[in-house]
Amino acid sequence: MEPTRSSGDGSGNSGTYTPEIAESLRFEEEIQSFMRENTVHPSLEPPPASGGSSFTALLGLPANQAVELLHDPESGDSPAVAAAAAVSGGGEMWRFGLRDPNALTLPSGCSPTFPSNAALVERAARFSIFAAEDSPDAASVPSHSGDHSPKLKAEPPDTESQPICPIPVERPQRPAKRKEAEKGNKVKGPAKKSRTAEEGSAKVAEESTGGDKLPYVHVRARRGQATDSHSLAERARREKINARMKLLQELVPGCSKISGTALVLDEIINHVQSLQRQVELLSMRLAAVNPRVDISGLDNFLSAECGRVMVGNGRGGVWMEQSAWMDAAAVNGGRRQQQQQQQQIWHLDLVHPHQTPSVWERDDASHLFTNPNPGTSLFGYDPASSVSLHSNQLKTEL
Amino acid sequence: MEDQGNNKTLSLIKTSTSSNSGFLERGRRIKVAAEMGLAESSRGRHWSRALRDRLLRRIGNGACGCQKEGLTPSKVAEDLVGEEGDDEVIEMARKLRALQKLVPGGEDLAMDRLFEETADYVEALQRQVNVMRALASLLGMLEKEKRLMGG
Repeated sequence: MEPTRSSGDGSGNSGTYTPEIAESLRFEEEIQSFMRENTVHPSLEPPPASGGSSFTALLGLPANQAVELLHDPESGDSPAVAAAAAVSGGGEMWRFGLRDPNALTLPSGCSPTFPSNAALVERAARFSIFAAEDSPDAASVPSHSGDHSPKLKAEPPDTESQPICPIPVERPQRPAKRKEAEKGNKVKGPAKKSRTAEEGSAKVAEESTGGDKLPYVHVRARRGQATDSHSLAERARREKINARMKLLQELVPGCSKISGTALVLDEIINHVQSLQRQVELLSMRLAAVNPRVDISGLDNFLSAECGRVMVGNGRGGVWMEQSAWMDAAAVNGGRRQQQQQQQQIWHLDLVHPHQTPSVWERDDASHLFTNPNPGTSLFGYDPASSVSLHSNQLKTEL
Repeated sequence: MEDQGNNKTLSLIKTSTSSNSGFLERGRRIKVAAEMGLAESSRGRHWSRALRDRLLRRIGNGACGCQKEGLTPSKVAEDLVGEEGDDEVIEMARKLRALQKLVPGGEDLAMDRLFEETADYVEALQRQVNVMRALASLLGMLEKEKRLMGG
């Protein structure tokens, strides 16, 4: 049911965000079809906050909020978030329902179908966090109760996608929002609990900005640490920064051994500079390659071919010209990423250098490539169509 | 904007492929094209947009001969890692500033966003370098073969 994740993207891309975003569209459809099957009951009211369980109020709101969000599909990526919220909210309810059926009355339609999609719910949770990360104003959703089961369930899907998105792995554990009737006492309550129960998990409050944010946010403090809201927020930010720093360390070769932020930063800066220099050197090298230029039919070619490009997902043939190959190749590399192609197979066919422009035009129909993603149309900068008619032609397969 | 990009690209390629322009000029154009491809490969990222804007502005200005606009005011990274001595903080700020200058669009980013963008930028750069290197060697081989074949 789940689309396969590209767990090995050739050159070891460990934290690519773009494919994730591109995939979220597909995922959103999944969720929405799923939601159509199980309509979250809008009449689910938050049960009165009982003293013992702090989950009830938590569970109540996400459903309403999710339904609210569902009804507003216009705003950006909130459909994905909303759907994810609904699903995860419903999933939470299901989980809670299993544990304590007396506290909640679930609509009969919901519970039987959710369990089979626990994996989807977890994925939704991750995605919603991920989406929320991109647009912090969107409602952040995944509700994680204090128990371990969501984490346990989260582990397998997380570990399997570990190589791809290390950051989202951390997310499920961090932005947990709790909603309660009163703020004051409850903060100390969970804080006390945390000392005995969970020693490592600090749940941190994120800044709420939107109008549909929860009014009260509860934070679980680490052992022996202050629960002051300022220091907590600061600690959260610091942890976030450290996480990003660690990710960067993994990216830059030879950086993981270095300890100390200053040195790591130095290494990162050096790496970026060296990469930029390499790009410059390579472009000079490419300029040195002897070009055969024939721009005579370029304009006609462009107007005729703009928009008429197809790409094969697994393997695409691309006609590239010597002078314009740069654009093609660079975009090609990008498109490869966008389509999550796992293997990059380069074949070279030496086309006979005496081909005429007419031959070119006849052959191109099956070999140009397009962008299947509507959101990222590259037609304004379409390399294939901007390929000029030259005598030297390369055909490479991806 | 799309059409504008298209026309700009077209003119770019035209100049880049004209055999009259010198080697350096051609190299520079190719570099611009490469960076454009780099920006396009990760569309939607902050740095990608910034890079694209920078390139288009440069091309546009170059075409009409205008002076380059003044640099946009940049914010210094405000969030610094706490709990360090003053000197270290200053040094850290300097390094962050340097990183901000390197990453396109990094000047208005705070520390956490900056690191995010840097990570993505590094990945994209690496991809770009791989592609360019492969193409360079490919074309080099092609040329050699052609010469051998007497083309």
